[in-house]
Amino acid sequence: MIQKTVLDDLHTPLGGRMVDFSGWWLPISYAGVLAEHQSCRTSAAVFDTGHMGLFHIAGKDAAEWFSHIGTQDAPRQSIGRCRYGFLLNEEGGVLDDTVLVRLGAEDFVLVVNAGTADTDFAWIEARLQAPVQLENLSRAGWGKVDVQGPLSYGVLAPLCAPELGGLQYFTGIRTRCMDADCIITRTGYTGELGFEVLAPGATIRALFQQLVADDRVSPAGLGARDSLRLEMSYPLYGHELSTAFNPIEAGLGAFATDSHSYIGATALAEIRAAGPKRHLVAFTLDSRRKPAPGDAITVDGRTVGEVTSGTFLPSLACGGGLGYVDPSLASAGTELRVVCERGELVAHVKDKPLYASGTCRQKLNP
Amino acid sequence: MTPDDLLYTKQHEWIRVEGQTATEGITDFAQAALGDITFVELPALNKKLKQGDEAAQIESCKAAASVYAAVSGTVVAVNSALEEDPAAVNSDPYGEGWLFKIEADTPEETGSLLNAEQYNKHTEEA
Repeated sequence: MIQKTVLDDLHTPLGGRMVDFSGWWLPISYAGVLAEHQSCRTSAAVFDTGHMGLFHIAGKDAAEWFSHIGTQDAPRQSIGRCRYGFLLNEEGGVLDDTVLVRLGAEDFVLVVNAGTADTDFAWIEARLQAPVQLENLSRAGWGKVDVQGPLSYGVLAPLCAPELGGLQYFTGIRTRCMDADCIITRTGYTGELGFEVLAPGATIRALFQQLVADDRVSPAGLGARDSLRLEMSYPLYGHELSTAFNPIEAGLGAFATDSHSYIGATALAEIRAAGPKRHLVAFTLDSRRKPAPGDAITVDGRTVGEVTSGTFLPSLACGGGLGYVDPSLASAGTELRVVCERGELVAHVKDKPLYASGTCRQKLNP
Repeated sequence: MTPDDLLYTKQHEWIRVEGQTATEGITDFAQAALGDITFVELPALNKKLKQGDEAAQIESCKAAASVYAAVSGTVVAVNSALEEDPAAVNSDPYGEGWLFKIEADTPEETGSLLNAEQYNKHTEEA
């Protein structure tokens, strides 16, 4: 049965067109993908991200225990920091990519993908060691919204406790929003200044309704979420990441270092020593056409890789995306061909991110 | 919403017939279903098309679609402004968003097309 977020009934009245995404009923767009994309880049957008898994990890020894589970070095992660990382299998394949938020000495939230949330939870639970406690907040009626865009702070600040203004990029706190307890992180999937608000359903509903009543804020769906993240060259689990790929070849080895002993660390050390067999590259097309996952990437008629994600990139006014290629072809400037259904398109490898003007690291002026 | 002076296909193309020339585009119903259009590939000038041949391709944020020739003939003009900015297909599908013009060589083919009332009925059933 399809799953619904705490905001489910609010999307259709706002013009949301609903689709099945990883088993969740979510809006693909409201006013239109391009307008929502533009709102996020220039003003503010709010996304229902209540499909993502939220796991609370707490209790004595939680930090030390997690360091044997995921690639984030939890004991050395400062309180208030967020860290991107992975759950890996013994072969170094990616079970999921995650963000670990350290809210207190032994108080963590792990944010995981929707499609993998149930298997992640079971996998973590099977490795749980008392006295560490694990709670699935998503199953306890919690929701999440992402408020993203250069005006996101101005929009959110009047609805939150003043400490919001102290949040730097990739930090998070337990705080207050809409006069209720919540967790807010300064993170996102768009490249813009932005926040993710995690809270029980009633708080998320009140916040979402307040935000969409603000002229500066557009509700935005999965379509804009995808074009925004592809302009930033961020991976999406199921496309750039899966058990068939490891973090090294995805270019994300910095988030899976050998600083501690997590599941998959031994295999990754071997992969790192041998050198990856392929590289994840960002590319743009000399066309407004959009490449599709599965399109072959060729050089002189020889297949050298495959597209994993592609779309029209509104801020760049061309098609583009991500794909794995032979390591010898991964440097910026390399010319490739993408073989789509309708013929061959000229592509160029580019530095990541494709869109370099994002405001995500901007200083707040509370 | 559906102009009375145009003819329509069941695949959601429209044509405006002026003498031998048929200007073709996609309907408001079609542009709304596609969503934001990001790419248009137009036929080559002087290309000969039979009724029902693929004449153009359209991509949107959500989908891709083919546009078929509503009548047989020769392509005599294309709206090349759309190649740089295809948004007019969304904002003005019956005006600035026209796609191409065909010099029709089999005028009696228009008899197989729908009028506005018939087309509206067709979209209501769809």
